[in-house]
Amino acid sequence: MGRFILRRLGQGFLVVLGVSLVVFVAMRVFGDPAKVMLPLSATTEQRAEFEHLIGLDRPLPEQFVTFIGELATLDFGDSLWQRRPAMEVVFERLPNTLMLVGAGLGFAMIMALPLGALAALRPGGIIDRVTVIGGLVGLSTPQFWLGLLLIMLFAVQLRILPTSGIGGVSHLILPALTLALPSMARMVLLVRSQVIDELNQQYVKTARAKGLRFHQVLFGHALRNVMIPFITLAGWEVISALAGYTVVVESVFAWPGLGHTAIQAIQRNDLFLLQAIVFTVAIAIVLVNILLDVIYKFIDPRIKLA
Amino acid sequence: MRALAEELWKDKPGLIGFVLIVTIVLAAILAPLIAPYDPATQAVVGRLKPPVWMAKGDWAHLLGTDQLGRDILSRLIYGARTSLIVGILVVALAGTFGGTIGLLAGFRGGRTDTILMRLVDIQVAFPGLLLILLIVAVIGPSMVTMIVVLALTNWMIYARVVRGIVLSVRQMPYVEAAEMIGCQQSRVIFRHILPNLTSPLLTLGILEFTNIVLAEAALSFLGLGVQPPATSWGLDVSTGKDYIFVAWWLVTFPGLCISVTVLSINLFANWLRVTTDPQEREKRFARARAATRRRQERRAGVGRETP
Amino acid sequence: MKLLTGLLTGAVLMTGAALPMTAFAAGDIVIAIGSEPSTLDPQARDDGGERAVNDNIYETLMARTPDGALVPGLAAEAPTKVDDTTWEFKLRPDIAFTNGEPFNADAVVASVERIINPDLKSEQMSYFGTLKGAEKVDDLTVRIITTGPDPILPSRMYWMKMVPPKYASDPKFAEAPVGTGPYMLEAFNRGQDIVIVANPNYRGGKPDIDKVTYRFVGESGTRLSGLVAGEFDVITNLLPEFVDSVPKSATVQGLETSVIILSTENEVTKDPRVRKALNIAIDRQALADSLFGGYALPARGQLVNPKAFGFNEALSVYPYDPEQAKALIKEAGAEGKTINLVGESGRWLKDRELIEAVGQYWSEAGLNVNYQIEEFGQYLTLLFDKENRPDAIFVVNSDELLDADRPISSGYESGSGFASNKDMDMQAKAQAARIETDVAKRKALYDAITQKAFDDNYLAPLLNVQDIYGISERVEWQPRVDAKLIVKEMKVTE
Repeated sequence: MGRFILRRLGQGFLVVLGVSLVVFVAMRVFGDPAKVMLPLSATTEQRAEFEHLIGLDRPLPEQFVTFIGELATLDFGDSLWQRRPAMEVVFERLPNTLMLVGAGLGFAMIMALPLGALAALRPGGIIDRVTVIGGLVGLSTPQFWLGLLLIMLFAVQLRILPTSGIGGVSHLILPALTLALPSMARMVLLVRSQVIDELNQQYVKTARAKGLRFHQVLFGHALRNVMIPFITLAGWEVISALAGYTVVVESVFAWPGLGHTAIQAIQRNDLFLLQAIVFTVAIAIVLVNILLDVIYKFIDPRIKLA
Repeated sequence: MRALAEELWKDKPGLIGFVLIVTIVLAAILAPLIAPYDPATQAVVGRLKPPVWMAKGDWAHLLGTDQLGRDILSRLIYGARTSLIVGILVVALAGTFGGTIGLLAGFRGGRTDTILMRLVDIQVAFPGLLLILLIVAVIGPSMVTMIVVLALTNWMIYARVVRGIVLSVRQMPYVEAAEMIGCQQSRVIFRHILPNLTSPLLTLGILEFTNIVLAEAALSFLGLGVQPPATSWGLDVSTGKDYIFVAWWLVTFPGLCISVTVLSINLFANWLRVTTDPQEREKRFARARAATRRRQERRAGVGRETP
Repeated sequence: MKLLTGLLTGAVLMTGAALPMTAFAAGDIVIAIGSEPSTLDPQARDDGGERAVNDNIYETLMARTPDGALVPGLAAEAPTKVDDTTWEFKLRPDIAFTNGEPFNADAVVASVERIINPDLKSEQMSYFGTLKGAEKVDDLTVRIITTGPDPILPSRMYWMKMVPPKYASDPKFAEAPVGTGPYMLEAFNRGQDIVIVANPNYRGGKPDIDKVTYRFVGESGTRLSGLVAGEFDVITNLLPEFVDSVPKSATVQGLETSVIILSTENEVTKDPRVRKALNIAIDRQALADSLFGGYALPARGQLVNPKAFGFNEALSVYPYDPEQAKALIKEAGAEGKTINLVGESGRWLKDRELIEAVGQYWSEAGLNVNYQIEEFGQYLTLLFDKENRPDAIFVVNSDELLDADRPISSGYESGSGFASNKDMDMQAKAQAARIETDVAKRKALYDAITQKAFDDNYLAPLLNVQDIYGISERVEWQPRVDAKLIVKEMKVTE
């Protein structure tokens, strides 16, 4: 187990290295940070001073080594916008994003299992049809649009939930729901088709013939086998939410998480802050991936951790 | 072909999806002919006109006008072009690149395979959308930037799928035999492997297409995709959201367009997947039979324990 | 199925529990501002979010009435001029910062020296570039020294916030401000909100509203939803279209004037007849009514704000005369000639719409208008390019100091700002006015400049746009000319 985690950490290190390479190439080779980050009125001297400050006047390979060194010490420079270390801003906003992802996807997972299973009990039946069509609609709806519609309905018309910002549980409901819906749709469809397949397996018929009650079969065997693909999908949903889909939801609801901050950093040409956010999320994704593997092992001991 | 059409006729959601897709594609291709106005023409006097069925609407603008007096219907029709062009180009670019990598990995095997697939694994774990935001922020937003960046971040799945199929096909006796008797690799690829790739790649491409349409809309919504004066549904929702109180139609129609496009593709793809997959076909048949039997039993009044 | 119903019930209960969230305490209000302040140091940055909060925590030597008149603030009376480069301020006695430090001449000297210290790299130096230093005379008398004659120093002192001399060097200062003003900081929750509470020892008595929460909402649509949904009490920059959708709104003449600068050197526009035609071809009243829903006034023939010092009362709005415009264009032989109209999109309220509407009028007068809408960075390069002046370029001037100096040096003085003329006499007058400390003489210089530019059509002033605020039912407030959100002037009626 220990060796396995070590190995996955090694892979994670490669991922972070890859991300840094991409960021480095994008920023220093294709882009011109001095042009983006300095005001237009900047003089040639100010420009030279800035370039010297972040090492743009040195050869590229040397720059890359320094860059990696700074990353290793989590030194991303000062945020231009906030004028304090970028990491400080990131650590302030990270919990908000985690809270949003946790609430949204937690809700999606809890709802998806029973809904999917319910639909699978009678394939082609009315519940099944409604679930499938509903699921397809859910995963076809753009989140930014859904968010706006929910604000209009619940915050402005009915006035039972706040429009934006962060505060109590009430502030969390709409953004979490918006984040949850497409994920929930994908999960419901997956659970449904997996359960249908399982219930058609020979062992279910045998068990039923032996006199086991239906729900014993369903909960005892079928659902357990559904868990592995379900966890895979759920993990993928968590990762893709972290990887950027919270950006959309957070900006619609002005939710002060990493995604909203990333957009604000872009609007203020604050590349240092943006860079710090990208790396933090890359590391978070590596950790989620390792966690997923451990969960697999926990659910199904037959899986070898290699 | 005719059999396919008949099957599609039976699957109503799939049929509706298909008809809608054809409509959207036609609208996009014929945009200059069917759009009543130039989508960029502004009219200060005729701003924020509601759709025709509302009290202040009129027939000149069926779906009303936006905050600059531009005709919504025309913008939607031209917006379809953006969505389809971005979707098709990204899927084509990413599919070609990812497919080639997958072929290479599956065929060469050994170290090439290990290195390429490790690369895929690494990039899959990248924070995709955030990285796109960073690159666009540095290089500057434009339609070309968006297409290239979306292609560069979406090729991995094609590589994985193609490699998997190549590996399994190569183990089939007839391919093994062909290789054994010394057929040229290119011949093996073209005669034996590509035909096996068509159907899964088609389904994958269609599903990926929906993801790209949504991604394009999201990027344009965030102001990092299509830039005005070009049109895009996501962009229109974004500019319309400031007017949501006085003019609901500004966000509702473009949002609905995105939703309907993606939904109809999904409905169609759902049917296509089931139809092209023999196993799924079998299941569908069995299900239909079971349903018929249940109905018959119910009609016959046979009580059955419900689960 | 039971599980499902259970979950649904749970979700419904959760929503129910969250219901009573719109219950405010009576004397508390919520203000939505466009951006989160990057710091609460009142001297470091030029940041609208920071100002919105700190205008209530800090005070300045000079202040303005809601209508824009300059009056003493922390100063006991208007300053006196000792010589051309020295101004003397008498201070109000018995005032203290909320941390106990006294406000006196030492505090003024420390505030001035802090802001002009190059180490602070203050973004507000564009207001204070003429300051050399300050000297204490006695505890309640202080002199401020400028590098040269500076007639608008009193207006400048309305921008400089007075900071507590000892605490200002504390690293916590940027997060936990302390001033002499009517409010004190209670909490700065980064990313979430800022809360300020009434200062019970304020010199003018404890203000009406006990507590203000500032929420940071970047999207104007979201701010509007929040106001309509009853979450916010005051929002800024309301679009004219929404005046009917909000509970209450209030307007005030704004600081911004939109203008199109005409080049006196380029081929088509160098003919005075063409420039005159361009001016009278525009129906400014129609623009104000249709584009801004009536929430704008046609500019009175100049770039100087009507509330500012140096506004020329003798000038009036250019008349709208499309027939004469056509005739003039024909007479000048400019019919069908191309004129380049440069502008940008999205920086100012309805900029693009305004540019295109003006271009439409010019086309009707017989010119061929070529719109050149640039990305903002590129636009700025064109705007300040001294060598190649565009035929016509759109810009909006904002007059924070309410003094003619800035609009004149930006739009009228040849070789400075975005002026497009080569009138050397006007340039000399503008430079003389900048260092003229005699109020009447200075006013006369500005009047001469604006009159000449009006007669020769150097620019086409368009509209003075009004600022519109959305306000909740329970708040009573008349917005200020200087666009500051002064909470002590607001009242809660319930």
